[in-house]
Amino acid sequence: MASDQAASGALAPGIPVGNVALAPGGLANFWASFAENKGAVAGLAILIVIVLLAIFAGSVAPHNPLIQFRDAVRAPPVWETGGTWRHILGTDGLGRDMLSRLIFGARVSLFIGLMVMAVSFVLGVVLGLLSAFSGAVVDTIISRVMDLIMSVPGLVLAILIVAVLGPSLFNTITAVTVVFLPRFVRLVRASAMAELGKEYVTSARVIGVSKLHLMFITVLPNCLAPLIVQSALGVSEAILEAAALGFLGLGAQPPTPEWGAMLADAREFIRSNPWIVTMPGIAILVTVVSINLMGDGLRDALDPKMQRS
Amino acid sequence: MLPYLLKRLALTVPTFFALMFLTFVAIRLVPGDPVEVRTGERGISAERLAEFRHDLGLDQPVWKQFIDYVWRLLHGDFGTSVVTNDKVLHEFLTLFPATVELSLCAMLLAVAIGVPAGAFAAVKRGSWYDQTLMALSVAGFSMPIFWWGLLLIMQVAVKWGLLPVGGRIDPIKYYFEAKTGFMLIDSLMSGQAGAFKDAVRHLILPTIVLGTVPLAIIARMTRSSMLEVLSEDYVRTARAKGLAASRVYGLHALRNALIPVITVIGLSTGGLMAGAVLTETIFSWPGIGKWLIESIGRRDYPALQGGVLLVSAIVIFVNVAVDLLYGVINPRIRHGQ
Repeated sequence: MASDQAASGALAPGIPVGNVALAPGGLANFWASFAENKGAVAGLAILIVIVLLAIFAGSVAPHNPLIQFRDAVRAPPVWETGGTWRHILGTDGLGRDMLSRLIFGARVSLFIGLMVMAVSFVLGVVLGLLSAFSGAVVDTIISRVMDLIMSVPGLVLAILIVAVLGPSLFNTITAVTVVFLPRFVRLVRASAMAELGKEYVTSARVIGVSKLHLMFITVLPNCLAPLIVQSALGVSEAILEAAALGFLGLGAQPPTPEWGAMLADAREFIRSNPWIVTMPGIAILVTVVSINLMGDGLRDALDPKMQRS
Repeated sequence: MLPYLLKRLALTVPTFFALMFLTFVAIRLVPGDPVEVRTGERGISAERLAEFRHDLGLDQPVWKQFIDYVWRLLHGDFGTSVVTNDKVLHEFLTLFPATVELSLCAMLLAVAIGVPAGAFAAVKRGSWYDQTLMALSVAGFSMPIFWWGLLLIMQVAVKWGLLPVGGRIDPIKYYFEAKTGFMLIDSLMSGQAGAFKDAVRHLILPTIVLGTVPLAIIARMTRSSMLEVLSEDYVRTARAKGLAASRVYGLHALRNALIPVITVIGLSTGGLMAGAVLTETIFSWPGIGKWLIESIGRRDYPALQGGVLLVSAIVIFVNVAVDLLYGVINPRIRHGQ
């Protein structure tokens, strides 16, 4: 325990290390452990490409995703008969370039995923630590509210929230965040509770550090590993959930190029123009798979307690 | 067992009250006046409006409205749909068997394939088979099922014409009374030739779509749980005393490996309900999920309110049941001792 404390004390607060081998070479150790998992490295590589595409969508995408090419409505992709290089992946029902919409869609989906993760991470840390450090009353209230949220099936709760607030990109983020929040709160609370009994916490208390210091600087860094893993995997789930809402017409509204909403529009072309249906789904699947692969690798590398299988 | 059950049920009571509060508040926050929704664009006289408000209890103070709401719920009155003017509970119960039938079939598929596939992967750890299965499992776990459904419809139903695109049965060829609400049973009882086969054909694609995510999770879970058990002393002992491999893996290992898997199966109820919303929408499956989505489209808030409440209640009860079942299966956990 004492060495634990010394090591985590030496780190600047906020550096995400939990149970990783710390101190000099910590990052190298982490990478070595991460790189052992080939799937994780592949996932990371694909994810980097998707992120770059999303960031530089403006210059990478061949067309404006909102422009309707009236002369090329439902043009097939280049490898099918009648396809042209002007629209590599074809166009949709309104003649908008599929590839450009997919690239800009990456921006929307990643934005949703990251926002959900960031907000539920911060709220989860605050509420979870409050729950662990405050008295029984606060703990009970927070825990019961989280239980309540978890008792409603995720997508159903998200649908209810969006139905109340009205469908929009912002409300999608709100709804999915509410659904995800309990996991973070519970995780932080449970790991903080486990840390509270340890000696370094007692000694920090004896020295007389303030409660806030104890919460965020002494205990929090030691709870981060599972939290980081949960966040990484949470991003992929948030993207899926948001796409599902979009598909049901309750997410981002047209003409936003959101992958789920694109699929909803595509339903009418299921008989005539299959590529309009196929492409957005592949985009979702590839993104989610790459994040999940990377998340698995993160878990193996960060959390030796989780069994490597 | 009984004291534990009672305690466990008592613990759900506050959750239910909170749920009622949540749905009550949610509906109050919805933009649009429920009376105006009913009156339509032409409007009605002021007296009629007041009468309407009185009928709906909207002239009462909010706390009184909440108490009335809870009181009605406790008497089994979940409100009346503003679109069909039918009792919400009645509509729910009419549609619920369709969702149960689909969910059970999906779970059955997931267990029937996932458990043996995962167990075999654990025994053949690191093999070509193991790696393929785990890759497939990641894909299944990450699958946007609404797309997966469209893809299957496109290939199997439209292009190859092998299976129907949606619905539960061909209503032109077969017509019979819904006695149980379970199409497989009803079609058998109807005695009409080919009806059962048609019902099965309609079930196949939705079952695959709804079963995919649980299948991936169960295969993965069985594998890791089996790996853990395989390194236990009693498995080594069983092998050492010369038992056949099939007996060791099947009887000793798999049985113990299944305990955590059963929890996962039970806890998937919530996920199944969420998945049912998407699956039913894609396949025009007349169940709870499709009904919830349609209620939003029709601004039928009482239906949405009652539906969310009932779905959550079911998920909560199933979780209690899983807890109990867990104690029965796993002798190491005995409740109430």
